[in-house]
Amino acid sequence: MLLNPANRDPAARGRLIGALATLVILWPLFQAAEVKPGALFDSGNLKVIGNFLAAFLPPETGAEFLGYLAKATLETLAIATAGMALAFLIAVPMAYLATGAGREKPTLNPITRSLLTILRGIPELVWALVFVRVFGLGPAAGVLALGLTYGGMLAKVYAEILESVDAAPARALRHSGASRLLAILYGLIPQASKELASYTVYRWECAIRASVVMGFVGAGGLGQLMDQAMKMLNGGEAATILLTFMGLVFSADGLSGWLRRALDTPPANHASPFGWRSIGLLVTLFASIVASFQLLDIGFGELFSAEAAHSIGEFIAGFFPPDLSAEWLAKVAKGIWETLAISVVGTLLAAIAGLLLALPKWRAPFSFILNSLRSVPELVWATITALAVGLGPFAGALALALHTAGVLGRLYAEALDNAPPTPGKALRLAGAPGGFAFLYGTLPGAAPQLIAYTLYRWEMNIRMAAILGFVGAGGLGQLLYFELSLFHHAQASTVIMAMLLLSIAVDQASAWLRQRMR
Amino acid sequence: MSFRLNGVGLTHANGFAALKGITLLAEKGERIALIGPSGAGKTSLLSVLGTALEPTDGLAEVFEFDQNFWDTSAIKALRARIGTVHQSPPIPGRQRVVTAVLAGKLGQWPAWKSLASLVYPLDIPGARAALERVDLADKLFARCDELSGGQLQRVGIARVLYQQPELILADEPVSALDPALALATIRLLTADAEACGATLVASLHAVDLALGNFPRIVGVKAGRIAFDLPSERVTVPMLHELYASEGEQLPIQAHEPHFLSQAPANDAATRAKCC
Repeated sequence: MLLNPANRDPAARGRLIGALATLVILWPLFQAAEVKPGALFDSGNLKVIGNFLAAFLPPETGAEFLGYLAKATLETLAIATAGMALAFLIAVPMAYLATGAGREKPTLNPITRSLLTILRGIPELVWALVFVRVFGLGPAAGVLALGLTYGGMLAKVYAEILESVDAAPARALRHSGASRLLAILYGLIPQASKELASYTVYRWECAIRASVVMGFVGAGGLGQLMDQAMKMLNGGEAATILLTFMGLVFSADGLSGWLRRALDTPPANHASPFGWRSIGLLVTLFASIVASFQLLDIGFGELFSAEAAHSIGEFIAGFFPPDLSAEWLAKVAKGIWETLAISVVGTLLAAIAGLLLALPKWRAPFSFILNSLRSVPELVWATITALAVGLGPFAGALALALHTAGVLGRLYAEALDNAPPTPGKALRLAGAPGGFAFLYGTLPGAAPQLIAYTLYRWEMNIRMAAILGFVGAGGLGQLLYFELSLFHHAQASTVIMAMLLLSIAVDQASAWLRQRMR
Repeated sequence: MSFRLNGVGLTHANGFAALKGITLLAEKGERIALIGPSGAGKTSLLSVLGTALEPTDGLAEVFEFDQNFWDTSAIKALRARIGTVHQSPPIPGRQRVVTAVLAGKLGQWPAWKSLASLVYPLDIPGARAALERVDLADKLFARCDELSGGQLQRVGIARVLYQQPELILADEPVSALDPALALATIRLLTADAEACGATLVASLHAVDLALGNFPRIVGVKAGRIAFDLPSERVTVPMLHELYASEGEQLPIQAHEPHFLSQAPANDAATRAKCC
């Protein structure tokens, strides 16, 4: 029957080629990431990680340490809040310039767009590392780094949200003579406000995790404490800090969930759009921003003084010209390949684990696992996986996989929940076993979203993979960390440019794949 | 016997009684149309027959053995013999037509075959034959989101044809189609059920479609059976009483050819292709 050409699946050849191509691409990437599951069970490694984990109990609860911890926690929250305030200030005008929304002719402002790409493309940790050299150790570097990267991300997403809503109201307003700003305010913001607000809150959640991480390069907060605890293999302290992370992330999660629900309630029936709750929220928001800057003891004046500008300028000048010698470029190319491998392997492992954790019907224990995985930042996971499998790219890929599995698992579970239920139900009514009703009925409906989430996450992971090297997990990060430590700025700038190019290339590849798989 | 309902009642968790004391018996190969105003309980009745809902009262037997909802493998085996045509085709848009049709046999196939068919459709001639009967053989390898609503509905029917069930349930199968296509689709369903000796129970909104194509008409009103008669004995006053809650007009599909008669034109051809 297969001999009859009419009865052959015309798509089979394409699928076979696609599968082979995937294997041919993935195989060397797995090689480069030095995937060796055996290392997980190596007796030496098991002993190290076992001893370390055993030391987790009991968690450190000394009064002195708890005092440090409280101070560091406040500092972390303050860095995140101040950083987000700065990011918001950057993002709003940039988004207005970059978005095609409300324009008569769709113009994508290429200059703002490319500026945003640069801001986003260089990971916040690299900015932090750079700013630490300018402003010295302390939270100012963290706040600036967060502000710049998150400003870039917020601006891009704001611009895209404004472009994605129905353009007709704004167009009508413009045709009746309104300016572009007013057309956006009256025609687009009401449609987009919920999504804008909920994305901003989500980013604040991410900023908390990011500010933890920046402590690792000396920008203060919980990360610095964690770095010290890990370097001294003090399990008890590490355990307490990890628990604090989880508490922070869980409560940020709860708060953002409450805010999102609050945004859904229709406004009360009076002239002012603000009720007591919104006014209370706004006051709290401003108070916490002011308090954050107070606590961190940085004024805007200090950040933007002529002196700071001068030292930044001098510092940046040191990065030019970048080192483009063949020998160094070869080293950087190897770093790029390794970083790419870490990101791909980490994302793939995470997608598999996330899907398995998203499937069970009885959610409670699994969402706890997912939230716990998610609440620990990649860099912190990397310090732990480095103990488990030794330094190197595999530790980085594992760390990425652990954190990303938490993120993707949650998104997958939501997507599967939102997938249309009728196809699967119909198949069960025709006698199909549950698993096959899922594979033939439910999964095809959710697949585009699952793929899109995975690819978006890969775009983020390539940035993360680039910095995991800071804790010895290989790739570009390791190169950058060495060169910056040795004040080899020309070499470092080549690495930063490589990171930027890599993240742009991955963005393009992921957009292409999303297009192909739709 | 194909199925026997004896005093079946269905009360939802919120206390609403969708079905009250339904007693209905169908022999193998019968073709029955359910008519009645919306909310009368037609869908609930079909759900009980299709084992989607467990009756809260009375006895429901399908194919000689009564439904035992605790025995999941028996329910699966029973369900594999029942095919359902849904009001809107329950097919994911990204699936290919061939896969959507083959999914009809998931209840009968061994696991390895179901798994392998996701990678390479294992019964292409079978899927093609089913699609030929709904005039869609050229769409075999198209993706379902490339089809029009009527085409997709016919893919849903092809899936049921491919499943070769002994009992076909159809819940308003043509309410989303235009009159000409609706008539053609109903004729396809009845002709196929007749050719394969399968029992067909279809709920229909349009009275003329029901009377013109089904030998037996069951009127349902407020969860009870109002009448259960051969189609030639259903009278206009009976219909007006059945639809009293929906006003003067009877819901009909097409106005010109009043109470269309059956078209046995391609019956022989269908019979030849079947089974």
